[in-house]
Amino acid sequence: MIHDMIAIVQDYWLLLLIGQYPNGPLGGLANTLILSALSIALAFPVSILMALARLSKWRLLRWPVTAVVYFTRGVPLLMLILWSYFLVPLWTGADVPSFVTMLTTLVIYQGAFMSEVVRAGIVSLGSGQMDAARALGHGYFGAMRYVILPQALYNMIPSIISTFVSTIKDTTLGYVINVPDLTFAANQVNNQLLTQPFQVFLLLAIVYYAICWSLTYVANRLERRIARRRAGVRVGNAAAPAPVTPKIATEQL
Amino acid sequence: MTDTSTTAQGAQTIQLSQVCKSYGNYQVLKNIDAEVTRGEVVVICGPSGSGKSTLIRTINRLEEINSGSITLDGRNIHAQMRAKELNALRSRVGFVFQSFNLFPHLSVADNVSMSPIRVKGVKPDVAYDKALKLLDRVGLADKAQAYPGQLSGGQQQRVAIARALAMEPPVMLFDEPTSALDPEMVGEVLAVMKSLAAEGMTMLCVTHEMGFAREVADRIWFIDAGEIIETATPDEFFKNPKHPRAQRFLSDLRH
Ligand SMILES: Nc1ncnc2c1ncn2[C@@H]1O[C@H](COP(=O)(O)OP(=O)(O)O)[C@@H](O)[C@H]1O
Ligand SMILES: [Mg+2]
Repeated sequence: MIHDMIAIVQDYWLLLLIGQYPNGPLGGLANTLILSALSIALAFPVSILMALARLSKWRLLRWPVTAVVYFTRGVPLLMLILWSYFLVPLWTGADVPSFVTMLTTLVIYQGAFMSEVVRAGIVSLGSGQMDAARALGHGYFGAMRYVILPQALYNMIPSIISTFVSTIKDTTLGYVINVPDLTFAANQVNNQLLTQPFQVFLLLAIVYYAICWSLTYVANRLERRIARRRAGVRVGNAAAPAPVTPKIATEQL
Repeated sequence: MTDTSTTAQGAQTIQLSQVCKSYGNYQVLKNIDAEVTRGEVVVICGPSGSGKSTLIRTINRLEEINSGSITLDGRNIHAQMRAKELNALRSRVGFVFQSFNLFPHLSVADNVSMSPIRVKGVKPDVAYDKALKLLDRVGLADKAQAYPGQLSGGQQQRVAIARALAMEPPVMLFDEPTSALDPEMVGEVLAVMKSLAAEGMTMLCVTHEMGFAREVADRIWFIDAGEIIETATPDEFFKNPKHPRAQRFLSDLRH
């Protein structure tokens, strides 16, 4: 069985890696990673805007975005994908490539999820930071940009990575609207071999697992690092952090 | 009631007239009339929950008021105005919080220099040099590269004072700046405040440090249940408080 899988990799690695490119659209693992990276890169600013809108005192901004967030979080992703796939061309009359449909849906979906994390991050800072920034003369956006968001987002780095991991897994759903990703390529391989579905899909699982596990590992490492930093010991400092801790402890006695 | 030695220096800086503020049905500030003249040091004291923080926060409009007016050098802080104007006005009033509220993601020097750079457009190297001077002044020149989390409470509060001073405000407000500190650190913060007062800074301090009030204040405002019920010089206030509630407050403090 291991031999079968090695043979599959040897025969089909290019298809699994880049799909039918350059003869067809870019696909395979490359497309999965591109789709995930683009989704997260776009979902990140979208989530910040959504969080700010949800925290806005202006109802016209707060209510619709809150509705979108609740709706998006309350329905299965697959349903959103099918909606975008069938309804958007119907409404707009445009022929939207499935990659774009998938990307847009993922951005809204992950944006809605991450916006809750951003919002929680902002709220958890308390009002003191905003007060201090305002008292120094910063406007709302200046305070957000230089004081609030750097802290909230820094604390969010592990959640962003977790979201990235779930985005990678979510891209597999693109299969139902024919987005040529790694899953799609694996299925093509399976269709050619016909007799080795177990080997093909085990290989697929291993690849996803390897990627997601490494990212989760990085997220956990960062999380610990951030926890330590919050405790007052700075990791990135060139100066040895060790003598600092007892000093704080004694001075605060 | 007015202290001639301070009015001699110039015009009124802060004028509160008929200031009222409510949270829902609960009126926190009731018809506050008061003024602070240039160079004056006013200590606000009163029981917990009497509205001291609310009062001082209305002066740079961290809290809105329901009626009345507060002027800073003749400009009504609570008038309708553009956000930009309000920010400019706010930057002219330094505020020191009980809980320091330093920016934990920035080094001490960046805490002090960030707002002059971002709000006033001061060149970064100029702002940084100035920050180092201010840190030297509060006795923390050697902590410029440290982060707030590495400092003691007293050190953090001194950085917070330096940060407020970096905007070169003509007026400084302090809301119980030493209440969150361990007793042995109170002195270092009060020393910085005393030196500021000695240099002629206009200061409004909410504090329970009666030693500081006696030594530094030009006037005391005693506030109870949202009203300033007594204003007096420290001498008068401590020797001979007129209002029964002020008498009780002082005798409670002594015990
Ligand atoms: N955001 C708020 N909402 C409702 N009530 C408040 C709020 N802030 C303060 N208060 C109330 O207003 C009163 C005065 O508070 P504060 O100004 O903080 O008093 P002090 O600083 O003198 O202890 C208190 O009774 C407090 O409970
Ligand atoms: Mg208070």
